[in-house]
Amino acid sequence: MSIINGGRRCAACKYLRRRCSEDCILAPYFHPSNPYRFACVHKIFGASNIARMLQHLPVHKRAQAADAMAWEAYWRVQDPVYGSSAIIAHLQHEISKAQNELEITRAQIAILQNFQQTQPNQQLQAFWALEDEPFVQPDLPHI
Amino acid sequence: MGGTPPCASCKLLRRRCAKDCIFAPFFPSDEPHKFAIVHKVFGASNVSKMLQDLPFQQRADAVSSLVYEANARIRDPVYGCVGAISQLQSQVKQLQMQLAMAHAEILCFQMQNDSSSLVNQQLEVDDDGGENKSFLLNNNMIMTSVPQSMNFSSSSSVFPESLKRESLWI
Repeated sequence: MSIINGGRRCAACKYLRRRCSEDCILAPYFHPSNPYRFACVHKIFGASNIARMLQHLPVHKRAQAADAMAWEAYWRVQDPVYGSSAIIAHLQHEISKAQNELEITRAQIAILQNFQQTQPNQQLQAFWALEDEPFVQPDLPHI
Repeated sequence: MGGTPPCASCKLLRRRCAKDCIFAPFFPSDEPHKFAIVHKVFGASNVSKMLQDLPFQQRADAVSSLVYEANARIRDPVYGCVGAISQLQSQVKQLQMQLAMAHAEILCFQMQNDSSSLVNQQLEVDDDGGENKSFLLNNNMIMTSVPQSMNFSSSSSVFPESLKRESLWI
C-alpha cells in the first residue's frame, strides 16, 4: 500500500482495482478523496499514457503536469467536441475585442488631446454629445 | 483490384483498414503525423471511443481539436494547452488594465471639460467686481458614467489563477 496515502490506495489504483505499490507513480497526484479527477484523466488520456508521460518528466514538474492534464481531461469531458480548444478560442475572441476597443479609445484620446492643444478655450460640446450615446461596438468584419 | 490505401491510423497500427473504419474519414494516409501525435497523447482506443460517442457531423471538429491539444502537449509536455490558456488569460488581464487606464484618461478630459464649463458659468453669473468665488471643483463636478465598454466580459477566468495543488480541483 502507498505510504503517501497513509496506507490507502490512490484514486488511480482504486479505479483500476489493483494494488497500490509504494512507488506508484500516480499516487502523489491522484488522491483517493477525488476519484472523479482520475476518472476524467483515465477516460481521455488513459492510465498508462498518463503514467508514461509523468515518467518522462522530472519529479518536480510532475505535479503541475498532472494538474494540467486533469484540467484538459475535465474540459474534454464537459465538451467532448472542442475540449480546451473552446476556451482558447473564447479567450482569443476576448483579446481581439479588447484590442479593437483599446484602439478606438486611444483614437478618442488622440482627438481630445489634439483638440485641447489647438483650441484650449473651446468646449468639447460636439464630442461629448456623441459620448452621451451608449458605447456601441462597431461592426467589425470577422476574421 | 485496386483498393483504397489504408488510413493513417490503420497504417500505424498495422491492421486492415475496414470500410467502416472510424478513423479513415479524419486521418487520411497522406497525413500520418496527425494520427501519430493523437495516438501518442490520447491513445487510439480512447480516440476511437470519443469519436464513437459523437454524432458523425461533429467528429471532424473533435479530431481537429484533439490534434491541436496533442500538438500543444508535445510542444509543452508539462502544461500542454493549459500553458496557452494561462498566457491568453494574462493577455486579457493586461488589455483590461490598459483599457481601464485609457477610459480613466477620457474621464479626466470629461472632468476638465465639466469643471471649466462650471467656471465659465460662475464667471458669467457673478458679475460683481471680481469677488473670489470658489470654483466648486471638488464637490459639484458632474461625474459622467464610465462608458459601457468597460463591462467587457470577465468570463476569461476559466480556472483558478495558479495551478496550485490546493485548488478545488484536487
